Amino acid sequence: MSKTARTDSTNPRKWRLTRRRFLIGMGAGAATLAVGAAIGVPIALPRIRKGINQMFILGEGEMPAPTTPDSPLVWFEIGEDNVTHLYVPKIEMGQGIHTTMAQIAAEELELDWNQIVVHQADMMHGFEGGTMMTFGSLSTLLLYQPIRETAATMREMLREEAARQLGTTTSDVVAAESMCSLQNDSAQQLTYGQVVSNKQGEWNIPETVPTLKSVNEFTKIGQPLQRVDFREKLTGRAVYGFDARMPNTLYGAIARPPRYGARLRRASVGTAEEQPGVVAVVIEDGFAGVVAERRMQAYAALRTLELEWSGGTELNQDELEQMVTVGRGGVITQDEGAVPQTLGDTPISAEYRTPLAAHAHLEPQAATVDVQPDQVMAYISTQIPNMARDEIAAALNREPEQINILPTYLGGGFGRKAGHDVGVEAARLSAAVGQPVHVGWDRVEDMRYGYMRQPTHHVFQASLDEHGNVRAFEHQVASGDIGFAFEGGFPGGEFGKWLAGADPFAGFGSLITYDEIPNRRVVYHRTKIPVPTGYWRGLGLFPNTFAMESFVDEVAHAAGADPLEFRLRHLSISNELSERFRTVLQTAADQAGWETPPPKGRARGIACSLNAGTVAAQVAEVSVTNGKIRVHKVTCAIDPGLVVNPDGARAQVEGSIIMGLSSTLYERATINNGIIETANFNNYPLISMRDAPEIDVVFINDSDHPIGGLGEPAIGPIAAAVGNAVFALTGERLRELPLTIESQVT
Amino acid sequence: MQLRINSETYDVDIPSTELLLWTLRDELGLMGTKFGCGIGYCGACTVHVDGEATRACMTTVSNVEGKEIRTIEGLATIDENDEEILHPVQQAFIDEQVPQCSWCMSGQMMTAAAFLEQNPEPSEEEVIEAMAENYCRCGCYVRIKAAVVRAGKTLTEEVEHEQNS
Repeated sequence: MSKTARTDSTNPRKWRLTRRRFLIGMGAGAATLAVGAAIGVPIALPRIRKGINQMFILGEGEMPAPTTPDSPLVWFEIGEDNVTHLYVPKIEMGQGIHTTMAQIAAEELELDWNQIVVHQADMMHGFEGGTMMTFGSLSTLLLYQPIRETAATMREMLREEAARQLGTTTSDVVAAESMCSLQNDSAQQLTYGQVVSNKQGEWNIPETVPTLKSVNEFTKIGQPLQRVDFREKLTGRAVYGFDARMPNTLYGAIARPPRYGARLRRASVGTAEEQPGVVAVVIEDGFAGVVAERRMQAYAALRTLELEWSGGTELNQDELEQMVTVGRGGVITQDEGAVPQTLGDTPISAEYRTPLAAHAHLEPQAATVDVQPDQVMAYISTQIPNMARDEIAAALNREPEQINILPTYLGGGFGRKAGHDVGVEAARLSAAVGQPVHVGWDRVEDMRYGYMRQPTHHVFQASLDEHGNVRAFEHQVASGDIGFAFEGGFPGGEFGKWLAGADPFAGFGSLITYDEIPNRRVVYHRTKIPVPTGYWRGLGLFPNTFAMESFVDEVAHAAGADPLEFRLRHLSISNELSERFRTVLQTAADQAGWETPPPKGRARGIACSLNAGTVAAQVAEVSVTNGKIRVHKVTCAIDPGLVVNPDGARAQVEGSIIMGLSSTLYERATINNGIIETANFNNYPLISMRDAPEIDVVFINDSDHPIGGLGEPAIGPIAAAVGNAVFALTGERLRELPLTIESQVT
Repeated sequence: MQLRINSETYDVDIPSTELLLWTLRDELGLMGTKFGCGIGYCGACTVHVDGEATRACMTTVSNVEGKEIRTIEGLATIDENDEEILHPVQQAFIDEQVPQCSWCMSGQMMTAAAFLEQNPEPSEEEVIEAMAENYCRCGCYVRIKAAVVRAGKTLTEEVEHEQNS
């Protein structure tokens, strides 16, 4: 069991497309069986595609299947040595997706777990770039079915050929652990490698889809198998974007504006070319950079350039918050019943605010790019290789086909590695010097010059009827952009048209999902701010859920109700989604002992959210000492449907909760004189092990297929669960992140 | 200048002000030591200098000349059959399935290995204090804590085994 990034540049494999849109590898030198699924096979169950469509607010239909016919979505190769090579398109950024895909393949292909090598595929080896996009907690949802079908098809081909070689019928051959053996005489066996090696002539793909296993036949899916990438990661051998080098790689550093929006009006070389190690100074339309033999030399020489910047913003933090404030107008994104007529004269009301926040992935943006006349090779730490390719192509005025993106492991992504400025920068410098150039941002560059989580402001109003049930509920949200921030790029343009002014990504988590509330309205106020904002784990989920689920708690207390019971009674029993909400809420509460008193000096809070098709509920148990909030335990119930690897899934939930707690307790990026001032960990601290709570995770796992993602959803409820617990303990309602408390409770 | 790294001697032609981190990575290709913040806050660059956990991003090479440097590449050992034997800390990180992206894990393990060398039977509070200056953005803290405790037990057993034999 091992894992390598494929970095050789041998010829791409040629494929023959079959009627069922599978691919057979052609013309391999050594005996090899290669089978892939073409893009355009049903890439996911219709129900999942419909769910994805709804998730991204594209309407009621199914997500259209991509149409490139002859490019593989995944492929598997078995050689004479009996090792199975799995070529997968999705980027491994810590979420364990390569292990998940290996498990799904091993299940139907009946592989020996120790005879598998997982490869991060690249564009030279057949993958159409779009299949490699890794975002939105979608990878397992999209690839679960095609991997199973491809693996089962390959297994049937091996069984059929093994039967011929063993002189029997296919029904007498059992496939298990990378081996075909006779049902009645297991001594008569051939490894998959032997079957492939003995094969004469062409392979044929069966015309019918083999029957896939049912859940109770699974032996690998659903098991906590160990991650395939840990040996190389824990010995320091794994190659990340910041690590990848080519022979004769030079180092680049780029001039950065002192304020957002400032333009480079004039630049001159100064003494930079005379500095030690400097190979070239590159100054071209609005861009200035230095290439040197070593990194520190490049950064030192950069400081000797003579640069003049003009324009840009001089915004300060209080002005930013003023800008991000609910005002008049806005776009109605949810409207049921008649909210204005039912709010009454004295609604319950409150305002909430969340700050700018950084991704703070510990591996900063990095790329090593080699621009040659005929081709461009680019190692880059990216979640979206096809966009990196297109951006580099555009910057160099090349055809995208000339650019081969070699994705690496990512030292964290969290949405930030959907941006690729660093690849373009390395490409421009490499084009100037004709040699590979590595650009690796330092922490300050990373905290300032990427994009950040959008700041938000929320105004709520609600009214109760005579039974203490909610009659009307309104959420007005002002938010920085996510989708709109990427003009012309994926996929803001389309969504922008669809929602006429409401950013659908920033709107994640903003809708009122309590369907027993008869009058519900959400108004979105788009706020353009000079600070770049964009994709951050869960998109709008984290800020919106903090505000929404904290205010729901306020209304519950105003109604004199238990916060759990209050939530349950506002979720209908006739709606499937509401039923799922009820299940996770009740399960989390039961598991956390909601009905029993917490230990002395502690209190519990509850919250829930929906994201990527997955519903989650969390109970936080907190105490407060000398103004410091301490989270002792978080219990999470979550329902992604079938879980391929329960331990990996648990890790995603644990990590989401810790990252969410970091934002809940500590993180706040601020702007001063037009630039982020919290630009390193000395003034932008993250959560440490000191604040890590006990985490208890319960999966609602009673489906026979995945129904939701898992990389992001569990980050939703945590801030509100903690804030609600603090209220239960102290009576103080905290309406801003990070949570800071005035009360002194010991 | 000569540097002693993982029991080998390297001749490097660099200014004495060069940082150990970039020397390891860019001059010597020892990429297992990672960059995170450059100001000693996150711990991703932690190596051992004469057995002490040290931030390579803030250490110039002139400060470590003549000292014994150990990086993640030198944490495992090679046995007589040329097999790689993981350090108990590395093995514990696998057994507890600790990492996610793993960018911080070299630093986590080097911090843990130096700490356990001094205190192989730590309390949970001692583990937290020892590890609290190493950030993990993926949020693997609960598992890191468990793995450090587990590695300490293995090291203690190894010492006892050696004493008994």
